[in-house]
Amino acid sequence: MTDVASLRPLAAVLVSAIAIVGIIASYRRPNLREVWTILAAVAKFGIVASMLPAVLSGTVYVTDMGTIVAGVRFALRADGLGILFALLASGLWIITSLFSIGYMRGLAEHAQTRYFAAFAASLSATMGVAFASNLVTLFVFYELLTVATYPLVTHDETNEARAAGRKYLAYTFAGGVAVLAGAVVLQWVGGTTAFTPGGIEALAAADPVVARGVFALLIAGFGVKAAIMPLHSWLPDAMVAPTPVSGLLHAVAVVKSGVFGIARVTLDVYGPGLMADLGVGIWLAAAAAFTLLVASLIALRKDNLKRRLAYSTISQLSYIVLGLGVGAPAALVGGLLHIPAHAFMKLTLFFCAGAIHVETHTDDISAMAGIGKRMPVTMAAFAVASAGMAGIPLLAGFVSKWYLLIGSVAAGGELFAIALLVSGLLNIGYFWPVVYTAFFETPEEHDTKPVIEGPFGGRQSARADGGEEHPAAGWARRSWRGDETTWFMLGPILAAMVGAVALGIIPYQAWFLRLVEFIVGGL
Amino acid sequence: MIDLILTRYHYIAAILLLAIGLYMLIAIKNLVAKVIGLNIFQTGIFLFFITTGMVTGGAPPLLGPHAEGPFVSPLPHVLILTAIVVGVSLTAVALTLIVRIYAEYGSLREDIIREVRANE
Amino acid sequence: MSELLPLAIVLPIVASAAAVIVGRVREESGWYLALIGTAVQVVLAIGIATQVFGDGRITHHLAGFPPPQGIQLVADGLSAAVLSVVAVVGFVVLGYTRGSETHRTAFYAGYLLLVGGLAGVTLTGDLFNMYVFLEITGLAAYALVASANTGRSALAGLRYLIIGTIGASLFLLGVGYAFVATGTLNMMDLSAELAAAGYRSRLVLASFALIVTGLAIKIALFPVHTWQPEAYASAPDSVSTLISALVSTAAAYAIARILYSVYTVEFFTAVPTAQDLLVYAAALSVLAGSVLAVLQSEIKRMLAYSSVSQFGLVVAAFALANQTAFLGGTIHLVGHAVMKGGLFAAAGVIAIRTGARTVDEYADLAAEAPIATGTFAVLGLALVGVPPAVGFVGKWYIALGAVAEGVWIIAAVILLSTLLTLAYFARVIERMYFGMDVPGETAAVADGGRPTISPKLAIAVAAVVAVIVMGLGATWFASLLEPTMEFLFGL
Repeated sequence: MTDVASLRPLAAVLVSAIAIVGIIASYRRPNLREVWTILAAVAKFGIVASMLPAVLSGTVYVTDMGTIVAGVRFALRADGLGILFALLASGLWIITSLFSIGYMRGLAEHAQTRYFAAFAASLSATMGVAFASNLVTLFVFYELLTVATYPLVTHDETNEARAAGRKYLAYTFAGGVAVLAGAVVLQWVGGTTAFTPGGIEALAAADPVVARGVFALLIAGFGVKAAIMPLHSWLPDAMVAPTPVSGLLHAVAVVKSGVFGIARVTLDVYGPGLMADLGVGIWLAAAAAFTLLVASLIALRKDNLKRRLAYSTISQLSYIVLGLGVGAPAALVGGLLHIPAHAFMKLTLFFCAGAIHVETHTDDISAMAGIGKRMPVTMAAFAVASAGMAGIPLLAGFVSKWYLLIGSVAAGGELFAIALLVSGLLNIGYFWPVVYTAFFETPEEHDTKPVIEGPFGGRQSARADGGEEHPAAGWARRSWRGDETTWFMLGPILAAMVGAVALGIIPYQAWFLRLVEFIVGGL
Repeated sequence: MIDLILTRYHYIAAILLLAIGLYMLIAIKNLVAKVIGLNIFQTGIFLFFITTGMVTGGAPPLLGPHAEGPFVSPLPHVLILTAIVVGVSLTAVALTLIVRIYAEYGSLREDIIREVRANE
Repeated sequence: MSELLPLAIVLPIVASAAAVIVGRVREESGWYLALIGTAVQVVLAIGIATQVFGDGRITHHLAGFPPPQGIQLVADGLSAAVLSVVAVVGFVVLGYTRGSETHRTAFYAGYLLLVGGLAGVTLTGDLFNMYVFLEITGLAAYALVASANTGRSALAGLRYLIIGTIGASLFLLGVGYAFVATGTLNMMDLSAELAAAGYRSRLVLASFALIVTGLAIKIALFPVHTWQPEAYASAPDSVSTLISALVSTAAAYAIARILYSVYTVEFFTAVPTAQDLLVYAAALSVLAGSVLAVLQSEIKRMLAYSSVSQFGLVVAAFALANQTAFLGGTIHLVGHAVMKGGLFAAAGVIAIRTGARTVDEYADLAAEAPIATGTFAVLGLALVGVPPAVGFVGKWYIALGAVAEGVWIIAAVILLSTLLTLAYFARVIERMYFGMDVPGETAAVADGGRPTISPKLAIAVAAVVAVIVMGLGATWFASLLEPTMEFLFGL
């Protein structure tokens, strides 16, 4: 690992911050405004991608910006893990921006300038989180991320949106406080909060009780954004935000920054060795396993598509945390690989939900009978992505799950492996009905009762026979040539889906697996 | 006990003044009376301060042809002169404010003023 | 050039007297005299600061009389920092007093007197002298608060006067006890003599308790804060800005000065109960102030309770008696002055443009007054502790200091204060940007036209910039403060 002083990490953070000025200045000219966003996204991705080859061969780009408090440097460091997150977020921002354009214009939404400006700010903060070289710098950008995403959550300005925003702020700031508390104690005990591959040495010499306490604080703090139960309840409420926000931020940037924080703590603050010595890894894995199962069970009962996707996200994020908690090299690979894998798949699913909302104003699964006729390409992409979520081979989810299973068994955590397999079944349980309902049912014959009856039976719906939500004669048929919705939305859906497939078939050539193996190898 | 009172009576007097002043501040409703209470409170403190300079059998702190020590300490006198001036200015400002309040609310009693304000 | 010290105190006072005299001849001259006076004060403050941070402590004996008979003026890193804030804020807020508020010359005379009194508190090295300057400051503040010419402000001024005087009198009594115990009033001498008299002697303990209580009243810590909300709320906006930024700050400086230069860290080692009591009382103020702030509907009252909470943090920091916490306390003291002053300035601008003074009236204001509400939001978030603004830096050091001392509860309170501050600011920010919580109602948004920046608004924006710059420059300031801390902790 050689450190190279460079301005590229800082440039990656600042590109979209500068774009904010352009976005706000062009508030009267929507097309120009959107150009700013796209330009910033492409530039950001370009800068990050340009760092990838060198990072893979051991270079680390560092931008040092002085000290923020005594003894703590304010520095950005693009190492393997940072590049992984940054590459993912910046790349997906490009297609999300395109999707946002289609979505916001399709709904003729208000306050679009605020929306795009806040989005740019959020991505700036995300880059900062990715490249932070120590816990305090990460905290700085973590808090800025919360502030930047708040206007996006409350975008609709309805009572529901405002309440969701308040809950979001309360939870995420509370999490931030826990992170700060952990960082303060860490600074005092370990003398530094800088990320060191393999763990901070002084921490290994510290009092185990204090070390465990700091671990608990940090995990609790990051766990809020990573939606570990019981800290998850802000996420389903935040689904009231516009779908591109739910997609990129609450499936990729914000929640993954929480997971990323946990990754940094387990890999670069504590390190696998110390985690094993302190015995904290197993608790983390247990919390993750609990979350994965319970969230999947709750998802079964949700009729609102976005809420079901939210609980699916909560569940899938815990796959990553499980991998980090188990700690065996294969599990680490699986967990880290699931970051991009889940991102591509979940983004596809959210984009599909968004397209459905724009085109048909349908949000509930029970009202989506036969919608496959109206939106064939969309639902096909949905089907592919949900198969990936369940872990079907040839798709992204399978590769990461495979590594996770191997790793869990190797570390002696067979129970975790079983939990993963059960969760896979549950995934099928809550995604298959959506696909089935969309393609193989018609409004008249539609049976709204979900797959599992009984105590988990879900809502009693009186909307069994068509009703106000969809046309009495069923959905208008559209061809498979893409005229079901604008290409602004369809393109990103397909792009994300292709990404998910690529990660399933050629994970190594598609860079991510290579990057992940490099990261784990360097510990 | 009696011994204590006889030798430290000045402290007791000061404390009494403090207590009376504080009581007037809290319990009496008339604003001007409160200011008087404030003055009494401050006077207690001043007297306490001054008496600390006392030297039994000491001469007044004045230099002259027949002056000989020991002298009573002049430092507290000087300090309290300053403090008295401060006290006077405070009283002046307080009374000015009370004039303004009276002009606005028509009463010098705190409870009546509160009612007038509540009814505004 | 130790003559700068008395000059910095005397100049504003002379200018104040000049304002009264010249004001009789030319009615409108008050503001200009104040402008010149405060501008020169800024130059003096910078001069003192450069000398102190370059060469070390400056001392000056007034009229050449050596202590303990004479009065000594002292400037070290801490006083230079606070003096600079006093001078700069005094100068900047003067710009704020023009425009919608019309003031007679007497107002500006009082303004200058306040600045002079604050300079005196900051620079004096004599305990009784500190009482005098505290009272001068108080007098000017009482009069300025009442200058709004309404019955409400007169009442608030009177209440402030009564409670403030009780505080100052208790302070004086404490000084008296210390004098009886040692026979000297000079701070440096006292530090040696009090140690000789024995820190655990009743006289010394009583003097400590009285002094601290008196200053707590002046700072407005819970539960002796009751004068502050009404005073801040009913004073004219420029006065609220000035007083909230400076007066409690000077009183908190006084506590720090007395804790470290008179009683010294040794006192806390000898009497740990005193330290515990002070730390926990300050922590209580943190919690109580925030809770009360949430309950307020008037913006200025909410900001006043916020001060109660923030000064609890500062006093707790000073009471922890280690270098990290001291640094944090100083940074937060200076930072809070700018943040709170900026918040009051922004609130004043919002009130002028939209007439809104309560939390409910702030609904949807972001559209009408985007820059003003923006500065309010940013300063609020800075106070919450969002990095990289100075609020975060202060809290970090204080929390680190608390952890290093092993006082975990206080560290928790400090970190919790972030959430508590968020509780009352988030309400306002949400209202400003996202409107009322009433179904279906959209406030009629007056078309504000192109956002214009008035001088008052420029001051609020300058506060925002200052806050971020201070946050980033905090380590530089920490290095400047090093020698001072070494000296104070070595006493």
